[in-house]
Amino acid sequence: MQHKLILHALLLAGVLLAAPVWAQEEVTSGQYRYKDRESSTGYYEDYEVRPGRGSPFLQWDKVQEEGIGYSRIYADKYRPGNTRFRADAHAGVYDYRYKRCADCHKDKAMINRHVTKEDIACRQCHGGEPMAGVEYYYSPMNPIRRHAYVCSKCHQGASASYARYLVHEPPPFAAATLSVFPKLYYSSWAMLFLVLGTLAFFLTHTGVWVIRDLFTKKDTKGVDDED
Amino acid sequence: MRIRRFTPVQKTFHLLLIATFLTQSVTGMARMYSTTLFGQVLGAPFGGYENCLAVHKVVGLAMIVLFACHVIYALFLVLVGKLEKGDSLIPALRDFKEFFSHLRWMLGGRLPEFERWAYWEKFDYWAVFWGMVLLGRTGIMLYNPVETARFMDGSELNIALWMHRLEAVLAMGYIFLVHFGVVVLRKHSFPMDQAMWGGNADYEMMKLEKPEWIARLRAGGRLDGLLVKESAPVLTAFSYLVGLGGVSLGVYLIIGGLINARLVPW
Repeated sequence: MQHKLILHALLLAGVLLAAPVWAQEEVTSGQYRYKDRESSTGYYEDYEVRPGRGSPFLQWDKVQEEGIGYSRIYADKYRPGNTRFRADAHAGVYDYRYKRCADCHKDKAMINRHVTKEDIACRQCHGGEPMAGVEYYYSPMNPIRRHAYVCSKCHQGASASYARYLVHEPPPFAAATLSVFPKLYYSSWAMLFLVLGTLAFFLTHTGVWVIRDLFTKKDTKGVDDED
Repeated sequence: MRIRRFTPVQKTFHLLLIATFLTQSVTGMARMYSTTLFGQVLGAPFGGYENCLAVHKVVGLAMIVLFACHVIYALFLVLVGKLEKGDSLIPALRDFKEFFSHLRWMLGGRLPEFERWAYWEKFDYWAVFWGMVLLGRTGIMLYNPVETARFMDGSELNIALWMHRLEAVLAMGYIFLVHFGVVVLRKHSFPMDQAMWGGNADYEMMKLEKPEWIARLRAGGRLDGLLVKESAPVLTAFSYLVGLGGVSLGVYLIIGGLINARLVPW
């Protein structure tokens, strides 16, 4: 009887405790086994791997043309792989040492009041070489420490909230701003309509009034004459 | 013959508003146009770009204090019962009717008979409140951005700056073109309306434009108390100096601003 109980218990345990064994199945996939043997992160820049035959669905050449150097500028902005996450954001840029920031980033400089009004150089905030991407974990520009390492150099007491001021401010009336900063876009347009509407109405009103006034005559009788 | 339209306290408020508004306009434009020669010339008397901001902040605070004083003063006048119904600046249905009658007059109709404050004067008065709420609020936000960011997201400062600029453009455009147009360019005001701190309002002009007010004063027996002889030449000269000086400065700012707008990296 006791033996039967032990046998059933073992059979039951064999059935129920088999789950961990099934779970090990995942390492049988080629991808996971490859990653187990791989010492790197598994993410490669295009210049690190031999060119493949490419995908028939993607026009690689066109994407490459518009990017800066070899950077994967079109990788998702918020995912590793984008230059914003790299320790050296300019690695692989052709003739980098002979370039000035504005040679490639003129658009960014033009919408930055620190540059246009205060004459602050890019490197005063973005740091020296190698210039890390702003999202790179150890970068002083990383939002978790930007306020303390960058903003506070001039704006004493700057908080993380303060560092959320858009230094590279998108032009408020540009259509592209609608997707990156809709609140600025809508409020600026609303205010512009208010300004133009009010001025257009009152300028016309005053203009017509001034002309109409030319045809009016004052009553020149004094107060004593009236009485 | 002239009629007293504003008390010395009201004239002082207006004079202080002119002084602070023009200072804010010049220092603000000097900063907005700091990359152009126009802006640099505007900022030079204040000691340059940085000092313009210091002056702009202090005078901005002074404007807010002045505004608070005016609100207390206006409430005081209302509470002690110094104002009659016709003296009220609160917009009423009558103002909307008069607005349309005035438009009809511009196209050839009959001139409406206004009370003490016509609709455009009420609009001028409340426009300062509108401006103070928007410009004052965004100005306080920008006064100390580091401190402001403790209470709201830092990106609100981007919006605050643009709202401050656009509302400032509206305020300057309205004052320098519309308000100055009304007090300077109109036939009976030219070269400058004397109602404020020159030699009081022209009685004949008031009879033409504000007959209801005159009738109310006459019925109440207070008309004679408000009538004054021609003003002293010194006051008239002062009025022209300050008034036309302000007008010239305003027109200079508008023209300079328009010409140089394309040179500014906003």
